Amino acid sequence: MKRPKAIILRGTGTNCDIETMTSFRYVGADAGLVHINELLAGKKKVMDYDIMAFPGGFSYGDDISAGRIFAVKMAKLAGDFARFIKGGRPVIGICNGFQILARTGFLPENGRGAQLSTLYANDGGRFLARWVRLRVNKRSPCIFTRGLPDEIELPIAHGEGKFIMKDRKALEGLLKADLHALTYVENPNGSMRDIAGITNPAGTCFGLMPHPERCFFPFQRPDRPASREAAAAGREFFRNAVEYVR
Amino acid sequence: MEELFSRFTSLNEKELVRLDKAFGWSLSAAELVQARDYFRKAGREPFRGELESLAQTWSEHCKHKTFSGPVRFRSGRKVKKYRNLFKETIVRATRELDRSWCLSVFKDNAGIVEFGSDGKWGLAFKAETHNHPCAVEPYGGAETGVGGVIRDILGVGLGAKPVLNTDNFCFGRLDSKKKLPKNALGAERIFRGVVDGVRDYGNRMGIPTAAGGIYFDDGYLLNPLVYVGCAGLIPAEKIEKKVRPGDLIVSIGGRTGRDGIHGATFSSANIDEETSSSAVQIGHAINEKKVLDVIMRARDRGLYGALTDCGAGGFSSAIGELGSETGARVRLENARLKDTGIEPWEIWVSESQERMILAVSPGKMPALEDILNSENCEYCVLGEFTGDKRLLVTFNSETVVDLPMDFLHGGVPSVEKAAVHRPPRISRRPPASRAPHGRALRELLSHPNICSRHSVITQYDHEVQGGTVIKPLQGRYGDGPGDAAVIWPHAATGSVRDHAGFAVAHGFNPAAGRLDPYLMALYSVDEAVRNLVCVGAEISRTALLDNFCAASPAAPEVMGSLVLAAEGCYDAAMGYGAPFISGKDSFYNQSRDAYGKDHPIPLSLLISAVAPVADVRRAITMDLKRAGNPLYLAGVSRKGMGGSVYNEVHDTRNNYLCPLDIKAAVGTYGALLRAIKAGCVLAAHDVSQGGLAVTLAEMSFSGGFGAVVDLSSAPSEKGVSALELLFGESPSRIVVEVSREKETEFRRLTGGLPVARIGSVQERPELEAGLGGRGLLKEDILVLKSDWKRELL
Amino acid sequence: MLIEIWTRDGYSGNEEAGLIDRLSRAGLEVGAAKLSRLYNIDAAWPRGHFKRLLSGLLADPITEKGSLSGRPGLDGFYRVEVWLKRSATDVVGESVREAVHDVLGLAPRGVRFGRAYYLAAPGRRKPAGGAAADPYQARLRAVVARTLANEIVQTVTIA
Repeated sequence: MKRPKAIILRGTGTNCDIETMTSFRYVGADAGLVHINELLAGKKKVMDYDIMAFPGGFSYGDDISAGRIFAVKMAKLAGDFARFIKGGRPVIGICNGFQILARTGFLPENGRGAQLSTLYANDGGRFLARWVRLRVNKRSPCIFTRGLPDEIELPIAHGEGKFIMKDRKALEGLLKADLHALTYVENPNGSMRDIAGITNPAGTCFGLMPHPERCFFPFQRPDRPASREAAAAGREFFRNAVEYVR
Repeated sequence: MEELFSRFTSLNEKELVRLDKAFGWSLSAAELVQARDYFRKAGREPFRGELESLAQTWSEHCKHKTFSGPVRFRSGRKVKKYRNLFKETIVRATRELDRSWCLSVFKDNAGIVEFGSDGKWGLAFKAETHNHPCAVEPYGGAETGVGGVIRDILGVGLGAKPVLNTDNFCFGRLDSKKKLPKNALGAERIFRGVVDGVRDYGNRMGIPTAAGGIYFDDGYLLNPLVYVGCAGLIPAEKIEKKVRPGDLIVSIGGRTGRDGIHGATFSSANIDEETSSSAVQIGHAINEKKVLDVIMRARDRGLYGALTDCGAGGFSSAIGELGSETGARVRLENARLKDTGIEPWEIWVSESQERMILAVSPGKMPALEDILNSENCEYCVLGEFTGDKRLLVTFNSETVVDLPMDFLHGGVPSVEKAAVHRPPRISRRPPASRAPHGRALRELLSHPNICSRHSVITQYDHEVQGGTVIKPLQGRYGDGPGDAAVIWPHAATGSVRDHAGFAVAHGFNPAAGRLDPYLMALYSVDEAVRNLVCVGAEISRTALLDNFCAASPAAPEVMGSLVLAAEGCYDAAMGYGAPFISGKDSFYNQSRDAYGKDHPIPLSLLISAVAPVADVRRAITMDLKRAGNPLYLAGVSRKGMGGSVYNEVHDTRNNYLCPLDIKAAVGTYGALLRAIKAGCVLAAHDVSQGGLAVTLAEMSFSGGFGAVVDLSSAPSEKGVSALELLFGESPSRIVVEVSREKETEFRRLTGGLPVARIGSVQERPELEAGLGGRGLLKEDILVLKSDWKRELL
Repeated sequence: MLIEIWTRDGYSGNEEAGLIDRLSRAGLEVGAAKLSRLYNIDAAWPRGHFKRLLSGLLADPITEKGSLSGRPGLDGFYRVEVWLKRSATDVVGESVREAVHDVLGLAPRGVRFGRAYYLAAPGRRKPAGGAAADPYQARLRAVVARTLANEIVQTVTIA
């Protein structure tokens, strides 16, 4: 069976890279960490990989705003990333990774690289790390959330997770196309329409604020030990990506 | 003053002291004389950098003169002399216990114990305080405190990967009405700033802040305590450092600036209005994250032979320490600087943050430079380690320091400190009940030292690295107060197939210390150990850290309480079979209030404990799991309300502190642990602040179940009152929920011990407690929870 | 060049309410509050460069606005400006300096990061005649020193 190659893209301040790599490896991918400097220097090429992940963290300190400086660094490689996504290869941005995908204009997808959404300071005004219940949109084309139950639990950990789209019509379009693959059951940060994760229409490029890599095994859940037999929802995101490529 | 300094060797003691004050060295008269005599013998005047180096190296912060010095202790007519208090108490226990799983104790930046079953890993653990900077600039002080202890872990052996941060704070009461002196910050401001600093630094570093505590008492109003800890994993074959002559001295990370001049000596001085602002710094977490990423890659490729952090004393301490056996030649003009207006001696002693010193063989430098450049991490080569056992530091052609290493490290004179103990009045009269028990329980649950810490904990990314399997907030609603964190460090070991982990817990009880410092140490170690039991950790392999904070050691009473607490640490370590592996102390935590009166903090001993968890999947939480399950109380409830939160809310006029039977506690804990491992126990929670009633309430509302108990069956001392049973804080007690199906097995495993069934879990959401049929309290758990779940911040 | 960035109306309610609440708990009633971020970019470049930094780096296109010539429409507000002292490490300033280089390919001599708070007294406008004649401003200064800034590491100016 094919072992898809996964690039876990990191920069200064990325800090969920190892768990994300471990998660992809566990479900059968050949995953490796690559610093964006290696791409900028031409030492590594994105098109050599089958799957791409933008892990969580505080890239470049999240100074200015979360993910902004990383997005600026990616601008020089925008063509490569666009080609990767257009080719239907799975891309997942988790937390800081979602913030980066939003700021580079890859999500919501618009073909112009225009930033249509932002992830802004939480309504509570502070960083929030806790577990949340999430609704899975079964009609969504998202390949990462395939086969998940209607409702799952995952941890969030962010200060800037409030999903905002200025253009109401674009937001309605996104909802109509079921690109909102994940929504909060109880909105923790003030996100518009409770949105926790969105995908591109092809379902292959997906950004979400919660951390699936932290709910990969059942014993990582807070409500143990009753849940020993319960599924660890996070694992499915990674397995789906690998199976999609196979 | 420059003139005075230019004839240093001819100064008398009085002039030396004057000079010391002007230059901010914080050296004692005896130390100044020692230095003067050295230069007299050498036949020359010192360079400024040399005195600065001595001030740093000999500072309380670096040398721990008080704790490691001679003490004459007097209690009544009894006199006991110590040549080295620390070695004769805390270190002595470690030596006598002589555990084979202790891989490195008291010599490196942190203690290291064996981790996992295959002998491949060591677990490094260290806690520090950063009290004085946090009083002056809470945000920057907390940030640089966290950054500093993380560097301790990065710099232990050849570098450990941090996998857990701990934080324990003491603040004045947020509702304090006391008048503050002009420049002092209020308790809320300090609290908020410290939490923001720990959050912003820890979160950016990608290290979960997942264990700790917050303690409010007006004794800390002017002198907050901020204990920061860090645990990390290190390959067992990377524990030994080796500096070879010819190795390059490489500084990586942050640049050197005028910020952080005299931090080490500042931490040994009383805070006053002229507190120097250069000692206060802002942290730069992302620079430290770069350093972390570089060290992990370079360590695994063997690119350096030794490293250490730049902490107190900056280059002078780090290079002086690494080169103490070899000697070092340093050219300060090579340093990367933040600002240009900096004197050479200032470069040498500046404590600018986020710097580490590596000893690199010249052949490996190109490979190291590749990694540094790929991570955008700045560096400079400052010189080399020599073989001449001299420390020679220059700036271009100017000499800054030229001293033999053995004078720098061995020259500090020791002075005997006087210590006395005067016990306070203890009353054993029957405690008076001051309120209906139900109301008292609700008051206790909303007390700042008991109520929920969620508004702080949820600001920390306590699950980054995906290994926090027993979380600080747990249970059905993800908000129950856990006893200990269990960490599964797969992000460091790289293996998710191995389920070995470790648990970290704390013990802290200054309220007991006000009554009996010796018992405080016992209580605190017991609390830490029983918290570890509650999650199912292997307590026979507990390792401890001691962190003492006290007022001025010049006061014999302060030294007296320190001696007693240190003796308590020895007895507790021996009794629980738990060696100390590292420790730190902080003195001079006292300040003058608005009326010019000196306020010393209460003696504050933080015990941090770590123990392995063989299989993290079997660790347990504190929330009730199922209606109908029996509830057991392990450990004897004793008489005495001394040190209790109840006494703070309603004075019972009884302040007796019961003795602690370590042997009995160890027996009970061992049996409980066997029962946990056999799967008999579904939930366990320790009895501590607020007593048994608070423990039961927390277990109930965290699981969403009620509980009904009759305390007449609780194992207890004869004559103990209902008040003492409900709210007394006698140590060594744990409440457990036993699986109904395994109750027989549980009884077999705990037979012959003070472990008794007191009631059961019930579906009805009420906590009901009685005593032989007489009702004591009956409260709705949702009401109790709403009292408890306050927004502290 | 001083670039000022602020949250657009409609998104700024939380931060403003939070600030008002904090000052009120410290004993100062505030009628209205606005917050800005300040970037002082030390470089002699054409204005177009700074405009590019404003829109391409410093301001979020959805939720924020910015200006090279100060924030308009806040007459009657006290303006509190807080900067880190030169001696303190300016972490944000340092990383913005690098990011500016990523955007323009040019490095400024330095970047400093600061904050501005605009505060209006409840129900009245700032009186003319300066600080001496204005007890509210004196109270404001005292409360700011207890909440928003620490003059050991920061400088505060109130206008």
